[in-house]
Amino acid sequence: MNWQAIVLSLKLAVCVAGILLAIGMPIAYWVTFSRWRWKFLVEAIVALPLVLPPTVLGYYILVGLGPRHFAGRIWQGWFGHTLPFTFGGLLVASVLYSLPFAVQPISAGYEGVDRRLIEASWTLGASRLATFFRVILPLSAAGAITGIVLSFAHTIGEFGVVLMVGGNIPGVTRTVSIDIYDQVQAANYDAANRTALVLLLFCFLVLTVIYGTNRRALSIWRRG
Amino acid sequence: MSLEVAIEKNVAGFRLAVEFAADSAPLGLLGPSGSGKTMTLRAIAGLETPDRGRIALHGRVLFDSEQRINVPARERRIGLLFQNYALFPHLSVAENIAFGLRGLPYAERNRRVAEQLAAAHLDGLAERNPANLSGGEQQRVALARALAIEPAALLLDEPFSALDTHLRGALERQLRKTLASYRGATLFVSHNLEEAYRVCEKLVILVNGSVAAQGPKEEIFRHPPSIEVARVTGCKNFSRARRLSDGRVEALDWGCSLRVAQPFATPPAHVAIRAHHVRVHAGQKSTEENSENAFSCWLAAMTETPFRVTLDLRIGAPPASPADFHVQAEVFKQEWETFRDCPQPWMVELGADRLFLLQD
Repeated sequence: MNWQAIVLSLKLAVCVAGILLAIGMPIAYWVTFSRWRWKFLVEAIVALPLVLPPTVLGYYILVGLGPRHFAGRIWQGWFGHTLPFTFGGLLVASVLYSLPFAVQPISAGYEGVDRRLIEASWTLGASRLATFFRVILPLSAAGAITGIVLSFAHTIGEFGVVLMVGGNIPGVTRTVSIDIYDQVQAANYDAANRTALVLLLFCFLVLTVIYGTNRRALSIWRRG
Repeated sequence: MSLEVAIEKNVAGFRLAVEFAADSAPLGLLGPSGSGKTMTLRAIAGLETPDRGRIALHGRVLFDSEQRINVPARERRIGLLFQNYALFPHLSVAENIAFGLRGLPYAERNRRVAEQLAAAHLDGLAERNPANLSGGEQQRVALARALAIEPAALLLDEPFSALDTHLRGALERQLRKTLASYRGATLFVSHNLEEAYRVCEKLVILVNGSVAAQGPKEEIFRHPPSIEVARVTGCKNFSRARRLSDGRVEALDWGCSLRVAQPFATPPAHVAIRAHHVRVHAGQKSTEENSENAFSCWLAAMTETPFRVTLDLRIGAPPASPADFHVQAEVFKQEWETFRDCPQPWMVELGADRLFLLQD
């Protein structure tokens, strides 16, 4: 069993979920409340990873972040190395690839908050930021939790993007899904089986815990 | 202390253009649904931006399209009581009331919350969740929350519409008491004319997005200036009218000629009478001669409420169908008992001093 790959996958998934929570909330806020007439363009871009084959997305990230390209060169100038085939590159690619899985549930959560509560908060003197933290966020916690869970799960399970951007470097970019693929290619069915089982059980455990707490979190808001 | 409003706004085929002023006496905004009452309140609170106009509160300009002033809702210090109260479901009663008091020192905040809880008779409920309150308690919490910020104006959007009828009387009394001690301007939106009449001194009647009448309530109810205002104030009987002589008109839709007490300068377009001012009796022998504006009538249809009946009456000839009637009369049941079994035609009296003459 490849513990290195399992640890790497978990590390990646935790980082992606954390980053997506941080950037997903402002993006979802903008998508939900903006009245900009071209908003749908941004919504479409955010939703792109849902329909694009991972290889297409991976290809663009690989090329875009590579040393021949503008964004890649800027990165290289700042950090002294290029992104593809590093953990950082994998992280950037995974964040982009899972973006809709975070933004859409969080946005749905915001959408579910009664507009009048937001307006009531304004008339009581709260700024937009205060209204977000005191009204919108507590009332849409379920959406945020769903967003994290989905980002986490989606990152654990991704394969195509990781293969395109990360390659297959043990301890750096070889995640569980790629490791299992490798084992199967090499006909090590026992190893593949063990790794797959550990991954399955772990994911099931995490999801159970999160959905369980999620329900409790929900009932806190309706406490008596 | 005053609130001055003169705003215009066009939204998807609806045009709101209102102008009125309120002092510290509660001002009622009365009108049918869709007449722009709520939109007016929202514009004053800063939740809706008018296309043009000006809103000033106690001399402070909140909105002025020419000077490009538009104070955001959070800085207007206007208490708004939402129709469904909009209590924060994740906060307790006390936390809801304290919501707008963030900037205050802890002790002052607690003092104000305690004060509001006591004034609204909510003392035992401070730690409750809004979902576990009755409708009336929710309304009191919402009002306490709005008053806690010591608003310069208080806007009440149909505060009783979400309540059961039997709760309204007591809550209305409490609201009137609260408003009597409140120093700022109060706007009370309602489509219930009796409620507005009890709570407010002055009324603004909104019809189709514009002000159809404004002034002291007695004045508006006694002399509605137009057919729309008469309708909003609850008048049900209208007929087109033609001037016959000074003091006489022909009611074209009712097929009769009427003496009127109200002097008229310009020829009236309509004559109207409230249903409870229409008198009905078995008639025949006694009063026909000495009462004017009395006509033979037949019953077309009847609706009953616990203490009163509404009679749809046709003047001059028996009705062809239940929908074939001229005037509606509202009479107490005791009165109705006195003639219900008498043979028709009955007599209907449209008292000269009860008739309105309306210009278009």
